Amino acid sequence: MVKFIKKLGPDIKIAILLILLSIILMLTFQVNFYNLMSSNKEVIIKIIYLTGVAIAISTAIHFLIPEDLARKHLKNNKLIYLFYATLLGVLTPGPVYAIYPIVLELRRKGVGNAILVAYLTGQTIIGPARAPFEIGFFGLKFYLFRILLALIMGPMAGILFIAFSKFWPDKKIIVA
Amino acid sequence: MIKKILIYFNHKLWRTLFLVGAGVLFAVTLSSLINIESVNLLKQKVALPLQIIYAELIGFISPGPRYILYPILIKLQEFGINIGVIIALISGHVLIEPSTVFVEAGFFGYRFPIKRFVVSLIVTFLAGMLSSVLGNYIW
Repeated sequence: MVKFIKKLGPDIKIAILLILLSIILMLTFQVNFYNLMSSNKEVIIKIIYLTGVAIAISTAIHFLIPEDLARKHLKNNKLIYLFYATLLGVLTPGPVYAIYPIVLELRRKGVGNAILVAYLTGQTIIGPARAPFEIGFFGLKFYLFRILLALIMGPMAGILFIAFSKFWPDKKIIVA
Repeated sequence: MIKKILIYFNHKLWRTLFLVGAGVLFAVTLSSLINIESVNLLKQKVALPLQIIYAELIGFISPGPRYILYPILIKLQEFGINIGVIIALISGHVLIEPSTVFVEAGFFGYRFPIKRFVVSLIVTFLAGMLSSVLGNYIW
């Protein structure tokens, strides 16, 4: 049993954990499963449908945008690249775990931590696969505003990281 | 090539649907516990900047995939929660995850995720405040 659980991917483990948490919540607060599903029917259907659209978008990006895009364009370690890193982060699809290999590779090539922070901020805050959800639920204006916010937040995160690092510098880690 | 694309799409779709399905189940269960009275009480008793800080901290510790928050956000929006709080929740949920803290500490040393956490806290707070100010003009 333990071996079987260990073999499961992290996403499957999280899904199982969420199902267990939901069952605990339902039992603790006596939530009726049937009522819950029927009162949220529209949202659930919309999310399932939008998930299909989001996967289609991320599949298209996976095949259209080369994997080494970020590596190619973030070679130089300059402040102006904070914005560039954020933009590339916004364009990079996938869960955050999927981009750590890219982040490590950039680090190996000498890209500074502040630029990596801007890249991580841009990648996590918004992405192309979120478009159907945010436009579908909150409208186009909301999504465009979120993109604009992400493009401000990424460089700002990088600048703050540089400021903090002056008082508390990063330890030199050798990445093999 | 089309076959390759379809195989990739199919593999990703079912895996994601399982995770999103579980996430949505959790989110709708959790949102069923939120009611208008508690939201109104929160709005009356807690000042907006503090609401934003609470939202980002709840976002930071919330588990699960990025999509699970939407059912909760829809409900909060229906109850008239400020847009700044919604922005802080969305941003906080994805910027830092408890599990990625350990991954980053392993790769870059413990100082990197600590600084990223503090930076994310400040940046998300500012984004929330900016959204609450601009929200009236945009929406």
